[in-house]
Amino acid sequence: MISDLLYRLRALVRRGAMERELDDELRFHLERETEKLIRMGMSRDDATRQARLAFGGVERIKDDARDARGIALLDTVAQDLRYAARGLRAKPGFTTAVVLTLGLGLGANAAMFGLVDRLMFRSPEYLRDVERVHRVYLQFTTRDKESTDNSFEYTRFLDLTRWTTSFDATAAFAQRTLAIGSGEDARETPVGTVSATYFNFFDAHPALGRFFAASEDTTPAGAPVVILSYGFWQARYAGSPAVLGKTIQIDRTTFTIIGVAPEDFAGITDAAPPAMWIPITTFAGVVHAGESQHSYYKNYNWGWLQMLVRRKPHVSVVQATADLTNAYRRSVVAEAALDHSTPHLESSRPRALAGPVQFQRGPLAGRDGRIITWVSGVSLIVLLIACANVANLMLARALRRRREIALRIALGVRRSRLLAQLLTESILLGSLGGVAGIVIAEGGSRILKSVFLRDEASLGVVTDWRTLGFCAAVALTAGVLTGLAPALQAGRGDVALALKSGAREGTYQRSRLRAALLVLQGTLAVVLLVGAGLFVRSLRNVRALRIGYDVDPVLVVYHQLRGTSLTNEQQAVLARRLEERVRAIPGVETATRSLTLPFWDSWSVGLYVAGIDSVRRLGRFSLQGGSPTFFRAMGTRVVRGRGITAEDTKNAPPVMVVSEAMARTLWPGRDAIGQCIRVGADTMPCTTVVGIAENIKARSLTEDTGLDYYLPIEQFHPENANLIVRVHGDARDYVETVRRTLQAEMPGNAYVTTNAMREVIGPQERSWQSGATMFVAFSALALVLAAIGLYGVIAFDVAQRTQELGVRIALGAQVGDVLRLIVGAGLRFAVVGVAVGIAIALLASRFVTPLLFGVSARDPVVFGAVGVVLVVVATVASGIPAWRATRVDPNTALRAE
Amino acid sequence: MDKLDLPQGTLDLLILKAVSLKPEHGWAISERIHQVSRATLQIPQGSLYPALHRLERRGWIKATWGASENNRRAKYYELTRTGRKQLDAETDAWKRLTSAVGLVLEMA
Repeated sequence: MISDLLYRLRALVRRGAMERELDDELRFHLERETEKLIRMGMSRDDATRQARLAFGGVERIKDDARDARGIALLDTVAQDLRYAARGLRAKPGFTTAVVLTLGLGLGANAAMFGLVDRLMFRSPEYLRDVERVHRVYLQFTTRDKESTDNSFEYTRFLDLTRWTTSFDATAAFAQRTLAIGSGEDARETPVGTVSATYFNFFDAHPALGRFFAASEDTTPAGAPVVILSYGFWQARYAGSPAVLGKTIQIDRTTFTIIGVAPEDFAGITDAAPPAMWIPITTFAGVVHAGESQHSYYKNYNWGWLQMLVRRKPHVSVVQATADLTNAYRRSVVAEAALDHSTPHLESSRPRALAGPVQFQRGPLAGRDGRIITWVSGVSLIVLLIACANVANLMLARALRRRREIALRIALGVRRSRLLAQLLTESILLGSLGGVAGIVIAEGGSRILKSVFLRDEASLGVVTDWRTLGFCAAVALTAGVLTGLAPALQAGRGDVALALKSGAREGTYQRSRLRAALLVLQGTLAVVLLVGAGLFVRSLRNVRALRIGYDVDPVLVVYHQLRGTSLTNEQQAVLARRLEERVRAIPGVETATRSLTLPFWDSWSVGLYVAGIDSVRRLGRFSLQGGSPTFFRAMGTRVVRGRGITAEDTKNAPPVMVVSEAMARTLWPGRDAIGQCIRVGADTMPCTTVVGIAENIKARSLTEDTGLDYYLPIEQFHPENANLIVRVHGDARDYVETVRRTLQAEMPGNAYVTTNAMREVIGPQERSWQSGATMFVAFSALALVLAAIGLYGVIAFDVAQRTQELGVRIALGAQVGDVLRLIVGAGLRFAVVGVAVGIAIALLASRFVTPLLFGVSARDPVVFGAVGVVLVVVATVASGIPAWRATRVDPNTALRAE
Repeated sequence: MDKLDLPQGTLDLLILKAVSLKPEHGWAISERIHQVSRATLQIPQGSLYPALHRLERRGWIKATWGASENNRRAKYYELTRTGRKQLDAETDAWKRLTSAVGLVLEMA
């Protein structure tokens, strides 16, 4: 065994010497054999030939001998690598084309992988026993429609904790944006509100101080203590250890700093990572108190937090879900005891389930998540196109090297060695492409981040080992795949034929494999372009959507009193003053007070209508209150009856305006105007419907039910008013002016926040926007790659056919004939690609439909346009080499060999 | 007389035997086997050298460069101690095998 190893080692180290010895040894053998044959009476020539014939291929024997020496693998790999590197250096154009093509394909994929990994697969930093940790989701049926939710009331969280036995830990968490600091320094900052048990889910030790004690997280109100994030500690306190015991103002409460979380700790968050954490009962009982949430731990009115559980080691997910569902049903019964309007168990069929920790893998994964999945698929297709391209380039190269390869086979090189050599070359190319890909991904991930991720979390490829590993694996696979086809083809074929033919003669022949690869590229490009077209049209439709109010000239204002205590009457006065003040700003057309703001908050109270058992069961009706100017400021049309007027004062008879959808839902087939609704309780006096307004979309752009109604704000909670302002021109130009003007009116610590409606709506359009952006980017990349591929193949063909074309021109072929001949060949590929691509896109249309808006997945305009684009691109890509072919000088072409 | 193909695995045994008397170079080994077997066995020349290198790697034979009969540099292979043991063992096994096969074939 040891001698074996020593021998191999010696063989490796003394490789050169041993090669020479082998040569000597074989030459000696041949000489002796020849001598013997001469002695037997042959002529020297015959003897030499006979000896060689009997001996067989020298190269093969050498190979076998090397194998026998046991250094074959190492030796040949090193040899092949040197050989491959030499070959690649000799053809810089080819090498650059391949590396860039692979780099683009790989880069796009590595960047996408980084994103998908972060959103879907990677568990949060520090989380321990990941496979046993779940987010809890609640499901219930309303009007025969099952819906899923992950927002819990605090009481529900307590119920599901105390009535389950499957878990060794449960925690509640929520994230809020709160004003931190005081005076001019005050900034709205994301704050995590978490139960004391939350930190038990992580293998994290505080960088400083400690985490929450159970005694700091108690009902009705927890202790005013705060744990800072590492980043916030570094930025605000320069990492000073003296920070423990210091105080910081959050909203209007003063908190004591008791700890600092470790670096990179973000907990479980779906938005920007929190800058600090406070006990959840401190938030509910202290910060958020005074907004009628006094018994948040006893009632079921306020769903605002999420629940986290960790299964006991031997409890299965199914058992855990069953246990949770039992507890949830019990909890719904408890809720019904407090609130008689709670739907019955039989109709609501409540279920609770233990879902994945990663939100985007859970049942509520948003359109963003689904679009990311699609775009990852798309980036894989781009990689496929890149690979097809590279394979084609390699095939062309292999064809060009047919004589070289045939020669080597004739010399006795085994085909398996030849394959290994060609594969080594393509793997080397793949690796170079991988490096290029990482560089490209580094830039690409920055773009992806800005499109898909809001937070400032880093998404560096070079620092991310998982992405790097993925990239390396894909690069190697791509190398092997692209090298395989040409290598196999090179290994086949008639050696004698290849040797006999000249450099050009007979070498022009179509390869079916190359044609298939070209068609594949065209097909994939068509599929992606169709996707891009559909997404762009969806985005345009979403943008053009009538959402029931104007966006560009509107801005929204909300204010926070933050500790400034005002009576209800004083608050109402302040709101009226703000409305008047903002109207006086030049350029402001009008303004209205409003109870809620679109895509910001909504309000609903119980409604009672004669003849309807449970209005709640018909849907969720959202309440809005406004000034007489409300509909004008919003731009919402009142389609029948009247809007809110100055006569609708506190003491006038209560009135409301309802949306068309609400009118249809509550009084189908009847006139809503004049109907009576009791608001809040069935003992309240009648509120009379006086008008019908167009539907608005205030919660979702595409799925809003539009069940809204409007009350005169003077008749309903005038103290809770925010502002909606309509300006001449673009509201974004007024945001700062309005903020400064109104801030001057605010008493004490109170502050206002202003936002252009466009900025509020923006995030709602984001998934459409990002889908369209990514599809366009990737399909453009695919188209470019496919065009390069087609160009490369046609150019290669033209080069191979120079002689033939020369003959044609010499025989009188016109420029047009040659062009037709070559462009026609290119177009054939394109047309087949278009046909197959369109067929695939039609088959896939069923699956994209839910991601589109207002456009059929079989939209003829998109399909037609894509076909035209591909044909035009194919014409250009094959036209350039074709044009070059027409300039062939028949004299030169015919003489060349 | 017709030439026979070598049964699988016997090449090593023949080579070991051929170099067991005195060091020999490759060509002489193949000649020797050819002669001694009365031209029945012909070592496929393509397999001789890989086999020699394989046996050398296993440490059963070792190679030295020396002068040949006609005074040219040639590579001589000789049996090592482990090689001799291997030869004895393989010879033994071969004899047992052939006699067993013979018994079966002569079965009445």
